[in-house]
Amino acid sequence: MENKEVLRQRVEELATRVNGEVEEIIGAFILKVKAPYVIETLTAAKKFADVPCDFLHDLGGLDLVDHLEVVYQLSSLRGPQRLRVKAVVDRENPVIDSVTNIWQGANFLEREAYDMFGIKFTGHPNLKRIYLWDDFEGYPLRKDYVTEPIEVRNIVRQRIEGE
Amino acid sequence: MDIEKTQELPLNLGPQHPSMHGLFRMVVHLEGEKITKIEPKMGYLHRGMEKLAESRTYSQFIPYTDRLDYLASPHNNWGYVQTVEKLMGVEIPERAEYLRVIFGELARIASHQVCIASTALDLAGWTAWSYAFRDRERICDMYEMTAGSRLTVNIMRIGGICAEPPAEFWPALKSFLDDTPEMLEEYYGMFFGNEIAQGRLKSVGILSKELAENLSITGPVLRASGVNYDVRKAAPYSIYDRFDFNVPVRTGCDSYDRTIIRMDEIVESVKIIKQAVRDIPEGPIMAKVPKVIKPPVGEVYHSVENPKGELGFYIVSDGTTKPARVRIRPATFINLQMLPIVALGWKIQDIVAIFATLDAVLGEVDK
Repeated sequence: MENKEVLRQRVEELATRVNGEVEEIIGAFILKVKAPYVIETLTAAKKFADVPCDFLHDLGGLDLVDHLEVVYQLSSLRGPQRLRVKAVVDRENPVIDSVTNIWQGANFLEREAYDMFGIKFTGHPNLKRIYLWDDFEGYPLRKDYVTEPIEVRNIVRQRIEGE
Repeated sequence: MDIEKTQELPLNLGPQHPSMHGLFRMVVHLEGEKITKIEPKMGYLHRGMEKLAESRTYSQFIPYTDRLDYLASPHNNWGYVQTVEKLMGVEIPERAEYLRVIFGELARIASHQVCIASTALDLAGWTAWSYAFRDRERICDMYEMTAGSRLTVNIMRIGGICAEPPAEFWPALKSFLDDTPEMLEEYYGMFFGNEIAQGRLKSVGILSKELAENLSITGPVLRASGVNYDVRKAAPYSIYDRFDFNVPVRTGCDSYDRTIIRMDEIVESVKIIKQAVRDIPEGPIMAKVPKVIKPPVGEVYHSVENPKGELGFYIVSDGTTKPARVRIRPATFINLQMLPIVALGWKIQDIVAIFATLDAVLGEVDK
């Protein structure tokens, strides 16, 4: 558990530097920062002394209705440390810096987050939809996305009005 | 005088192509036979699993996870149910843990057998293919005895496992485990020892250690590049800390090592199953969990060592019966990122070999 205390100290130091909030939920440290600080945060986390979180585990979007978040799961191949960094992104203008310069492995993951949430990663080498086709409208994993096609919605609406 | 230059030729490999392991397309730019650029195109099998999860209850989503990496469905169930259990704080009975380990490791063997078989098949080795698939049938039989189906097994439940294996399961398991050394010898003789297979795989598609780490690659592909990282050892989940096994690591970084490392892993899986069969206690197979699963508000990320890499689930709960967000970290989707980088400069037949050694299952890549 010594590792965990060191990590807690490093994360708290970093949080004061980047105006972040630290939380601990079910044994995992969560550092929440604003989108402009994300590169600084992740570069620092990668170089933490003794407990480097240098492996990008996962990257995904999250819709919290009033704002979007990009969730980075960091870990290491050489230690038990794990850190979850959340970057708060504006819902109307979802722009955040790409981390492909830090980890090349973020390439597909950022494309997926763009595909599903419409988050634009500036500096990404090839930001195109990855699963859906290019002229697909809307971003399916956002909470306000309507899953039924427009024809079905119209039928349902007419029936309700008619009755 | 103009120097004559070969015109660059874009070629669509897939989506309907036997070597693409599902529906996957890559646009390969060729200069003669040499590859200059690869653009992977995916999404032909995209079913929107993450969106579907938001409109289903926690238990209803378990069968969907079978359809991720359908060659190792117990593992996908396992990853998902453990994440929900971690979120709810449920302890599951000992016997269920042991049964989960047995089925999980059987799934690993089956998945690796398919990998070996399909790599052989992609290199036109029909005979080697049939041997591995013949042996995999015995694992499917064991699934069927217990859970009733052979591929998408849906064997795990939140709080335990769906059924007690019948009496005939244990002798079948024992005879399978006893036969594995002979099976591996056959695969070696039929495929890995073959001069043509070695020529096609050795020193092809070098993935260096630094690049593998930078690309977030996990699983056998990472371990074949000389990194000793296995979730079962690094952050032991379930009861893996009780078993004595090694993590096979190879340093060849090439296609040959990426394939043959799966043979080493089968040996280790057999070791684990033997210990589990020896130590399994009697008792219940389901914990007492409420009929309606309603985890507290919170979020959790949990990952398990899938045969193909690290499969992670990130679940956000808002305190209702349906998850607010289920994020799946697909192992092969992330591992696929090496393909456009590593295959550059190789010939067109090599890209088939490199892709085969990744053991991509498009159900997992496309979610």
